[in-house]
Order: sequence, then structure tokens, then C-alpha cells
Amino acid sequence: MTDPASANEAAHGLLPFIYDIIAKALPFDCMQMTFMQQALLGLILLAPMAAAMGVQVVNFRMAFFTDAISHSTFTGVALGLIFAIDPHWSMPAFGVLVGLGIIASQRRSTLSSDTIIGVFFSAVVAFGLAVVSRDRGMARDLQSFLYGDILTISEFDIKAMMVLFLVLAAFQAYGYNRLLYIGLHPILAETHRVRVAVYQYLYATLLALVVVFSVWAVGVLLVTAMLIVPAAAARNFSRSAGGMLWWALLVSVTSAVIGLVLSAQEWARTATGATVILVAFVWFVFSAVVASIRGERVR
Amino acid sequence: MTLNSNTEATAVKFDNVTVRMGGNTILDGVSARIPAGSSTAIVGPNGAGKTTMLLSLLGQVPFEGSIEIENTPEGKKPCIGYVPQRLSFDRGMPVTVLEFMVMGWQRMPLWFGIRKSHREKALAHLRSVKIEGVAERKLGALSGGEMQRVLLALALGQEPDLLVLDEPAAGVDFQGEYIFCELLEDLRRKNGFTQLMVSHDLATVTHHATHVICLNRKVAAEGKPREVLTHDTLAAIFGLHMGLVDSRVLPKCDGSCKAHCCNGEHKYD
Repeated sequence: MTDPASANEAAHGLLPFIYDIIAKALPFDCMQMTFMQQALLGLILLAPMAAAMGVQVVNFRMAFFTDAISHSTFTGVALGLIFAIDPHWSMPAFGVLVGLGIIASQRRSTLSSDTIIGVFFSAVVAFGLAVVSRDRGMARDLQSFLYGDILTISEFDIKAMMVLFLVLAAFQAYGYNRLLYIGLHPILAETHRVRVAVYQYLYATLLALVVVFSVWAVGVLLVTAMLIVPAAAARNFSRSAGGMLWWALLVSVTSAVIGLVLSAQEWARTATGATVILVAFVWFVFSAVVASIRGERVR
Repeated sequence: MTLNSNTEATAVKFDNVTVRMGGNTILDGVSARIPAGSSTAIVGPNGAGKTTMLLSLLGQVPFEGSIEIENTPEGKKPCIGYVPQRLSFDRGMPVTVLEFMVMGWQRMPLWFGIRKSHREKALAHLRSVKIEGVAERKLGALSGGEMQRVLLALALGQEPDLLVLDEPAAGVDFQGEYIFCELLEDLRRKNGFTQLMVSHDLATVTHHATHVICLNRKVAAEGKPREVLTHDTLAAIFGLHMGLVDSRVLPKCDGSCKAHCCNGEHKYD
């Protein structure tokens, strides 16, 4: 078994190697700076995760769910400060808790999904605002949650994203077909021996973690876009459920790289998260044109 | 009135099954049996608990009482195939019929394509319901009748010992329903599964069912269609609405079906 110290050393050796590759592959001035290389690596890890989870978010109309999770992050930080826990732990922990709470309530309640999510959404936002109103100092941190800041991403965040990336890739490889099936008809899926509840809870946990990391990158205001815009474009391009994932990955990763490079240009100097989403939106417009040429209704 | 024949083997036995939801009693002490190899139909008015009875069999709603599902003659736990009333999904979703057919069998994610063996199996089942031409079409582009056949093909893909159908012909025109039921009967005879179907349509029931359960929260009657589907029983479960039932679709004791599609030619077993 590898001990934590040697694993840490290996990661330390791996990251400079990746940064070196990034610097050589993208020979722009801006990409020669370490914080830009870190930001790009963060986005390259995050974009495919958001794209893959976004496919299910779009197909099963879960955008409101992701909104509720993203808005819970500020409450996560507030709780971290109250109980003296590092926000890097309290944010994802609280996000996962809210996600699991929503799924558990949906499975037990006769209320509609939207109503349940709305209740959780309001509660977490209200709690966050209550804490902020008590401690004015926290209001300063609010801006970074609203707009995100991928350029200040730390090596710890990147390592955490690498672990999440591997877990999520394994989950999607194993469960992509089953998640689709559950989304189409959960009872039908269950008669095919798909363990619906297990998949729903696992999916909610991973989605909550992806949303929390996305909040660091693009902020609360744009986190839903990070998940749904590439998947929505992919829906227009693709003719099959299998193809949709590849299109979503293409749109998401290219938007991330182009968006980061554009935002760092002297003439642009725009917020990275917002620029990434704008590039993804250009992809979406192009996909809508392609869909209309093919004679399909633009969705 | 309960007309029970105990001479046939039983595939499923409902014993005093009660389902309560939100303070309402949906099923109240339902006891019924589904003979092995039969085509059993559950009939009753809206809100009678027909779908709930199926869902309790599928383990989807909590219930009191017991439901015993007999093992197959080979001693195995029976495989249950399910055909839902409809799929309520986003029709713009890019899922092809073939992808839908294999997503319950194939471990390899669909983004790596469909395995040849799974593709052939899916096509064979689509062929068995005479609809292989829709394999590459998007699921959302299917008509109601095509969708029902695809759902039937999907259920057949599980090689079920017990096939459960929830109003499979709802939303399909008379001709489509007739063709669907004929197809179902052929498949049942060929594959030898037990069939349990919820139906609103008495003509379909009298034509195709070999066993009927008349339900209105409780079992009003159970047995062979010609013994159970009498004016008295139907009046008891449908109440005032019985006036709307065309008496020509009810079976007579002369052993022939009077449904429009039969013109009195279909003989009971």
C-alpha cells in the first residue's frame, strides 16, 4: 500500500510535469504563468465532469436541483466558519448533505420534485443570508461565490478534483446506461434489476461535488450553465444517447480552454468563468443552427 | 362473488392485500390468484386500484397482506417483465430505439456503441413484435402504437415467466389495440409466459383473457370471463356507468365472443 507521504510526492512530481506539457502545448504568453497552467488543469478536469453529469441533468430536467446545491455552498462556508471547519471540507459536505436530503425527500414525499427542491433551495439561501447578516465581514466573500475564481485555484483543489475525476469516470462508465434507464422509467429499470435508489443517491452525491467544484470555478450565478449549456448543445448535435456524451465533452473542454485563453488576453481581460460560458453559448447557437438545418425543432 | 378454480397451478397469489396511501385505502383486503400460463385481466372503473395492484406485485408500493409468486417448474424465481402504460419522458431526448432496448442488458456504456450480440438480440425481439424497422429511430419519434410494441419487445427481452402489462393499449386506436392483443396472444402461446394485464376495455378482455379479476378496491368477482363478466358483476363494480357498456361485447354462455372484431367467431377455450 502506498503511504500518504509518497503519494503526495508523486502528485507533486506529476503536477509540474503536466504544467510543463500545458506550457508547450499552448505557447501563448499567458499560458507560461503557473497560475494559468493551474487554472487550465482545473478547468480540463472540471469541464468533462460537468459535461458528463450535465447530460443527465439536461435529459432529466434537474437544472433546479443543481441550482439548489450551488446556492447551498455559501451556507456550507458559513457553517464552516461557525464550527471552525475548513470551508474546503464544509462546502462539499454540506452540498452533498443537501443533495441527499432532496433525493430522500423526493423518494418519500407525495409533493412534486420542484416543490421539494424549492423548499430546500429557500431554506439554504435563507440560512446563508441569516449568517451573512450577522457577520458583515462574510459579505466580502460573497463576491467570489457569485462570480467564482478559477485563477486562484490551489494545488489541493486540483488534487481533490483528480480524485473526483477518477471516481466520476468509473461511475459514469459503470452506470451511464442505467442512469438513462432510470430517467426514462424507474419502475421499468427496477424490473431489469437496476438498483434505482443506490444510483439516485450516488448520482446526487457526485453531482453535488461537481457543482461545488464548479462554484469555485465559475461562481454560483453560472454553475448551472457550466452543466447544461454543453449538454444542451450536445443534444442538438447528437442523434443518439451514446453520441451525446462525446459531443458534450467536446463542447465543454474546448469552451474551457478557449474561454481561459481569451479571458487572459490584454484586449479582453474578462472573468474566466463568464468567458468559458460565453464560448459554450456560441457552441449552443451553432448546434441550434445545425439542428434546424437537419429539420429538427431547436430545443 | 368469487369464482375460484383450484384445478390449475397458480403463478401468483394475492392474500388479503391492503394498500393505503395518504390516508386513503386504495386496495382493501384483495385476495385473488393468477393461474399459471393464463392471460389474466384486471378490470374495473377508474380509481379501482388496478394499477396499484400491479405495482404492489412489482414491489413498488408498500402493502399489508402477502403476495406469493410461485417458482417456475424448474424451481427458479420467476422473471417478471413489465410493460408500463406509457413512458413520460422528454421526447426530444436523443435516444434511439436500439439504445433503449439494450440499456438494461449492456454493461458497456452506450458511448462505446452497442455490442453486436446485444444488437442482434434487440433486433430479434423487435422482429418478434413486427416492428424492426424502427430500430434506428429516436424513441421520441415513435407513435403510441409503435411505442407500445417497443415496450413489449423490451419486456420480452427479459424472457419473462410473468408478463405484467398496465393498460398496454391506452391511447391506441381500436385497430392498433386489436393487433397488439393478437400479437400478445400469439407470443404468450409461443413463449408460455403467464400474463397479467390491466384493461379498461371489456371487448379486449372478453376476447383475449382466460381469467378475469373484477376489482373495485375489493375483488368483486374472479374466474373465467364468461362466468364473471355478467351484467350483475359489472353493474356492481362499474355502478351507474354500466349503462355505457355495450352489451354486445359481453360474453354469452354460448361460448363465443361478441366483440366487434370477432363477429361472434372467436370461441372460448
